[in-house]
This record gives sequence, C-alpha cells and structure tokens, in this order.
Amino acid sequence: MSTFTRRELLRMSGISLASGLVLAACGKQAGVVDDNAITILGQSPVTTPLADAEVTDAVLLRTAASLEYNAIETYTTALDLGVFTGDLRKVAEIAKRFSADHKDHADAVNSLAVKLGAKEFRCSNTRISESYILPALKLITANDNPNQAIDIVALAHAVENLAAQTYQGVVAMLTDPMLRADAIRIGQQEARHAAILAQILNPGLKNVGPTSDTKTGKPNIAAVPTEFGSLANIQLVIGKPKPDGTRTTLLLETPSLNSLVYDFVACEA
Amino acid sequence: MLSPSDIKLLAFAQTLELTTRDIYAAVLTRKSLSDDESALLEQFHAHHVAYEQTLNGLLSKNALNKRDEAIYESFNAKLSEAQNIWVALLEIENIMIASHTKAIETIESAKVAALVASIITVEARHAAILASQTTTNISMALDNNTSALVAS
Repeated sequence: MSTFTRRELLRMSGISLASGLVLAACGKQAGVVDDNAITILGQSPVTTPLADAEVTDAVLLRTAASLEYNAIETYTTALDLGVFTGDLRKVAEIAKRFSADHKDHADAVNSLAVKLGAKEFRCSNTRISESYILPALKLITANDNPNQAIDIVALAHAVENLAAQTYQGVVAMLTDPMLRADAIRIGQQEARHAAILAQILNPGLKNVGPTSDTKTGKPNIAAVPTEFGSLANIQLVIGKPKPDGTRTTLLLETPSLNSLVYDFVACEA
Repeated sequence: MLSPSDIKLLAFAQTLELTTRDIYAAVLTRKSLSDDESALLEQFHAHHVAYEQTLNGLLSKNALNKRDEAIYESFNAKLSEAQNIWVALLEIENIMIASHTKAIETIESAKVAALVASIITVEARHAAILASQTTTNISMALDNNTSALVAS
C-alpha cells in the first residue's frame, strides 16, 4: 500500500509540472542566446545534409529499370556458367528469351521515366546485387556445390518473382493510373517467367499449386503458389547441402526506401 | 468509398470473373480430364471464385452478380472439342489479363488498382501453365495477343 496521501500526490505532480516548464523555458524556444558557455571536447564534424529523397513516379520507374538489369545480369551469368547441358539444355534457350524480355522491359520503363523528365537508369540495383544476388552466386558457384545448374535456375526464379512483386507493389504507389497499367503490363510477364521456371525446378501438374516438403514441412517451389499475387519475401534455397541435409536459405525482398533509385542516384557502371 | 467510375469498372471485372469461373466449371464436368488435370483446373477455378467474391465484397450492393452470356456461350462453343480445352482456357485467361490491365488505366483508387494487379499476376501464371499444356512454343506462354474487353 502507498503511504502518500491524496494531498501529497497532488503537490508532487504540481512540482513535476512546474519543473518541466522551467526546463522547457531554458531551451531555444524561449529565445535564450547560446553564449558558448558549455564547452565541448574536440572538433565536431561538419555534417553534410542528405539529398532530398522523394519517392516519385520517376523514382519507382528507375528502380524497376534497375531490377531489369539485375535480371539481365543473372541470365548472363547463368549462360556464362555453361551448366545448361543434358536435360537442362532447353533452359539456355529460355534464359535467352527471358533476358531479351528484360531488355525490352528496361527500355520500356526507362522510356516512361524519361517522359516524366527523369534520367534513364541502365544499371543493376546495387543494393539488390550486394544483398541478394552476389551472395547467392557465391554459394551457387562454390566448387563444392553439386547443384550449380539447378541452383542458378532457382536464383533466376527468385529474381523473376522479385521483379513481378516489385511491379505489382508499385501499382499502389504510382500516382498516375496509366503508369500503374504500364507497370503491371510488364509485371504480368515477369510472373509468367517465374511460373515457367518453377515448373523446371518442380515439374508436373501436381506441383503447380502450393505443396510442402514432406521432410522439412517447408513450402516447395510452385508455379502458382497463392491465389492472389504475394508481396511476401521470397525464399531461395541454394548451395552445398550441410551435414544435416539442409541448405542455405536466402530471403529476398522487393526494393525498399534504402534501395530505390532516387533522382540523385547515378549508374556506377 | 468507391467512385462511380470505379464501381462501373469493378462491376465489369466481376462479370468477367464470373464468366471465367463458369467456363472453368463447364470444363471440369469433362470426363476426358486426368486426375492431375482436374486438380489443376479445380485450383484455377477456385482462384476465379475468390476473385469474383473479393470484387463482390468491394462492390457490396453495387455488385452485378451475373456472367456475360455472350462470352460464356462463345467459349462453350470452343470447348465442344476436347482438344481445344487448353487453348480456350489460355485465351480466356489472357483476355482477363488484358481487360483488367485496361481497367487499371482508369481505376482511380490506388488500393483497388493494387488489388486488381494482384489478380493479374496470378492469372498470368495460370496462362503460362495452360500454354505449357498445349505447346512447347514458349512465346505462347509469354505473349498475350488478345484484346481487352471494356465496360460499355
């Protein structure tokens, strides 16, 4: 039980309020001139203000263009690996067609960005490369990875899903309805790419819809995994199997505020 | 609150989804389908049920709740030959994608446009799988040469 009386409690709250007012009055709001009486140790660094980072329609389109280059680079790497042999020979032709589609998509979205007065962006998204694609390629191309060919297809599948989700996601963010339609016109073709690659990774009509691994309970790759287009993160399971049989899982997410291609972002290539 | 223009566009989209739902239902009565084919088409049918019901929920009292008889009958005629099933279903999915995309050009609400976009990306996956059942020509799975249907 508290030993304070009601009167004491009221008095204490009054003192607290008064103290707050005094402290507030000592701030800049009260017009107090800084006389530099408070010393600091050392030099305080000069700060450079961040550039204005407004998420405009042009920024969203430039970001979409950057993902197209991520996809093109993924297919170029896949083809350069020379692993599509035997049963996977047809994948090389598919990769060439998909890569050509991405070049067309990049031209299309860059053209839209230029119409809005922005500069075109003809490089891959650095953050997407550094966060997802390069770590994935390191695992895939490791000498002791016995699944290089199928893993590079898995990466391409993940990148296609990322692109489809990005276009679907920007529909809610673009301000111009015509641009929303342009975005999903491209996004729907990325979804088709993803569905075709999913059937290479997990073939058969039984595996078109969602299924799960009987051992791990984790979802298998599916051409049509959900009834509405998902914007959830994308699982990519690749690399050499560990002693317990599991493999590394990377989670890919669509570009966020820290990976958008703002007006001030220039190609590093 | 939907604008009158969005109500009109969504009501038409619902009509198209109802029509597609019924086209799948008609195909599913075919005895020529294998178990795997039936399971696949039941799944796609269920998706169109979900789309129609979602649009119905958005439209509430403005929902039309009726299919387009002319489109339904034209596809019924195409489906009379068993070998046409996959091509016909591919065509209706591509029509859905083209029509919904056309609707997004004028839908005012960004949230509603995003919902329709989430339908389009899955219908595109349907189309790719349906194409793979009828041809090895990858262009059939990737390209959409159908024309959009628009609300009158």
